[in-house]
Amino acid sequence: MATEKVQVVVVGGGATGTGILRDLAMRGISALLVEQGDLAHGTSSRFHGLLHSGGRYAVKDQEAAKECLEENMILRRIASDCVEPTGGLFAALPEDDPAYAEKWVKACAESGIKTEELNIKELLKKYPVLSPRITKAYSTPDAAVDGFRLLWSNVNSARRYGAKMVTYHKLSAVYRANGAITGVELTNTLNGEITSVECQMVINAAGAWAGEVAAMAGLEIHMIKDKGTLLAFNHRLTNQVVNRLRPPGDADIFVPHGTITLLGTTSIAVEDPNSTKPSEIEVENMLNIGRETMPNIDNYRIIRAFAGVRPLYQANKGAGGRAVTRNFALIDHEQKDGLKGLVSIVGGKFTTYRLMAEKTVDLAAKKLGNNTPCRTAEEPLTQPVTSEMLERGKKVFGVPGYKKAAERLGDAYGKVVEKAEQDPSMRRMFCECELVSASEIDYVAKDGDSKTLSDIRRKTRMGMGTCQGIFCSYRTLGALGNNPQFTVGHREFITEFLQNRWRGIRPVLWGQQLRETQLSTGIFCSLFGMERMNDE
Amino acid sequence: MMNKKTDVLVIGAGLSGMMAAARAAQSGKKVTLLTKGMGTLSLTSGCIDLWGYEVDNPKQPCGSPFAQIQKVVEQNPSHPYAKVYDVLKESLTFFQGICDKDGLTYRDNGGENWLLPTAVGTLRPTYLAPTSMAVKDLNKVKQIVVAGFDELKDFYPEVLVTNLKKSKLLRPDCELTVAHLKSGWKKLYATSLAHRLEQPEGQREVIRQLKPLIKPGAIVLFPPALGERRDIDVAGLISKGLGCPVYEVTNLPPALPGQRLQDLFLKYLKNQGVTVILSSTVTGAQVAGNRCSHVTAEGAGKTFTISAQTYILATGSFVGGGFDSKPGQIEETIFGLPINTGDGKWASGEFLSLKGHPFNRFGIDVNDRLQPVDGQSKVILENVLVTGANLAGSEFSIEKCGNGVALASGFKAGKLAGEVSR
Repeated sequence: MATEKVQVVVVGGGATGTGILRDLAMRGISALLVEQGDLAHGTSSRFHGLLHSGGRYAVKDQEAAKECLEENMILRRIASDCVEPTGGLFAALPEDDPAYAEKWVKACAESGIKTEELNIKELLKKYPVLSPRITKAYSTPDAAVDGFRLLWSNVNSARRYGAKMVTYHKLSAVYRANGAITGVELTNTLNGEITSVECQMVINAAGAWAGEVAAMAGLEIHMIKDKGTLLAFNHRLTNQVVNRLRPPGDADIFVPHGTITLLGTTSIAVEDPNSTKPSEIEVENMLNIGRETMPNIDNYRIIRAFAGVRPLYQANKGAGGRAVTRNFALIDHEQKDGLKGLVSIVGGKFTTYRLMAEKTVDLAAKKLGNNTPCRTAEEPLTQPVTSEMLERGKKVFGVPGYKKAAERLGDAYGKVVEKAEQDPSMRRMFCECELVSASEIDYVAKDGDSKTLSDIRRKTRMGMGTCQGIFCSYRTLGALGNNPQFTVGHREFITEFLQNRWRGIRPVLWGQQLRETQLSTGIFCSLFGMERMNDE
Repeated sequence: MMNKKTDVLVIGAGLSGMMAAARAAQSGKKVTLLTKGMGTLSLTSGCIDLWGYEVDNPKQPCGSPFAQIQKVVEQNPSHPYAKVYDVLKESLTFFQGICDKDGLTYRDNGGENWLLPTAVGTLRPTYLAPTSMAVKDLNKVKQIVVAGFDELKDFYPEVLVTNLKKSKLLRPDCELTVAHLKSGWKKLYATSLAHRLEQPEGQREVIRQLKPLIKPGAIVLFPPALGERRDIDVAGLISKGLGCPVYEVTNLPPALPGQRLQDLFLKYLKNQGVTVILSSTVTGAQVAGNRCSHVTAEGAGKTFTISAQTYILATGSFVGGGFDSKPGQIEETIFGLPINTGDGKWASGEFLSLKGHPFNRFGIDVNDRLQPVDGQSKVILENVLVTGANLAGSEFSIEKCGNGVALASGFKAGKLAGEVSR
């Protein structure tokens, strides 16, 4: 059994956990982040990717609105390559209470959120997809954010400051002695190996799993697990985030991301934090509401449905769903339960993850006797790719692939471009939807964090496009044919890859989607016989 | 509006539609084949699958597919084979005859299924294979050389070798060799590679690079791109140059063996006097009582009607475009025929499993004369015959029966249409 030693173990590789890891590392506190799956395994990759302006919360909770706005502006600065400053708009329909709109305008002004009333005629001309029934519309500083990349940028930045991160490790025990945390035991979920880590402090940032982590230390945290389902449309329906101007409800946010648009969300209480299966009824209900804002929504193809579990926290049991606060809570278990060295950070929103990390690390640093101030709001997460490097990328990957790769790879772009410059076969595009080159796949496969073929898929976005992954799943196997780590388990990879996609496709299986699904069965079963592969 | 008249109108240019047209033309009928696209043959292997696995042990590849099909017919009267079993062997002979005449011979394996390698290294059971794919005595081969091209995106010899190595069918000492050929081209697609290999210098280049790797008792496996034309035997020429057998394996579309079969049939139909109307869509059907009187079609910017004695619906399922779907609703796009959706469940929870998916079984119920029937077995349209993937009740992707059902049902529909008196 291997043993390690750090000051702090952070549990949970979501936005909050990676934000904490970076903050700790920048303050010179040695830390290890532990994630049970791949990074962003939980809710941080299963939301609408909206960087709130605060408008959504202005009427109900001005403090939360102000926090959102401030963090929104900080992230635009420090993570410019993860944020698309689309701007947003709030639109009211005749059935929406006009009094709410008035309250909203006032509350936004009081919270410092800049809004501007829009000319409806011009707006409809700009976005014919919007309902002609819109009565009022305002612009806001909302934005779209790539959660997955933001997380990796946090981890990469933290690593430059000496932090450590392991994926596919589950917390299997918390050691305590004399009322204080002394360490943790980790189990590698891929091979079952056990590691023990000595530490002075554990920070529980496990999101929807926070209750399970607390239970391991013998304590109780009551998390409310609230499932939200989203739909991905194969079109950029508008260039701005579209919110409904009424009290927050289901299916009232459209967020453009690159060439697609996400519509969300629902709110359903669940028991298990792993309940991420979207249901057909949720899809139907969302389309019914979405149709109010965009009447011709059915003319646009849905590429998948997916769901995430919001980790909501209510100190006192009782409320549920949208009535529960979206604010975060920092729990000092030394004070609350008399256990020294355990801190939990629960609730909150993706938009304010950095602030949550700052507050958490302020507390942790104080306990550890470290007075270094937080600098995460000032220092950029990544260095922007230079225009010289972009030019070189353009030569090997062509337009528009070179830009997409730069957006995905950030700091690693240079290495991927260099490899393709040296070896022309590395310039081949393996995924035509997402424009992923052989060089990028090769780099990611060897980055040390990619344990499974699915990890490579998530990092490169291979097979996340509209082709249902028929070609790129096979090409991924091909691209890694000479890498011994990935030459086993082809059937398992393809099966898992297709099953993951299937979860999203099945609730929206009609029209073109059904047509392509039938083609997929023809290719994988009829042509390749993969349903019986290795059965003989 | 222009009006066309014909004895038999076949809608769709997949395997079943072309078989129907060929068989109806043999009866001396005036036949018109109208198609929106080029059918789905180029998406298939180019082999003819009849039935892949034992009915009672669905993981076990079956020897003779006929014994299994007979079992299916006995056990499951709603399977499409139950409607066309009477003509299955006859339709195969008819098919082989058409192919032979063109010089593209389809081989059987003495009544047993072949087990032929695919690009992912699995072995797929199939009944008829073109000579270029019919790997003989795989169990005796001493060396398998898998030839890939670095510039070709959708064929990876390592993937094939990694998985084929696990097959117990191979000799334990069979050596698997990966060959990376260089074409010198920046990018290669299956079709551009096929054209290149039709040229003598293309063949010479491949032979030069492969020859040093070949050992006694070897065979060479290629991606299915050994020529587009049927009058140049690319596999044969490379085989001669190398001194060992050369084959194409099944791969992702576009694959040339299916396309060659498509080209062959279209040429055959034209030679038989069948009128082939390409890139046209049937937009509506005029029905009087329980007969169709004519259909309306659009193509090349024109709208026209076609009236026929018999209409053969060979438009395919969802992939082919014969069926369309909306949430909770599926329709047959031309006649609005009812689609049997079983218990109403569309899909299985597991994407890849031996259960397959209900949507692949969706289709039109027919009687023994392939006429569409309603829930009470009453004929809906007596002069419309339904074939191929339009038929309800089979799971082509799991049962490996799509080609057999297409051949036999197309043949039978053509034969029945030929018997209608003018």
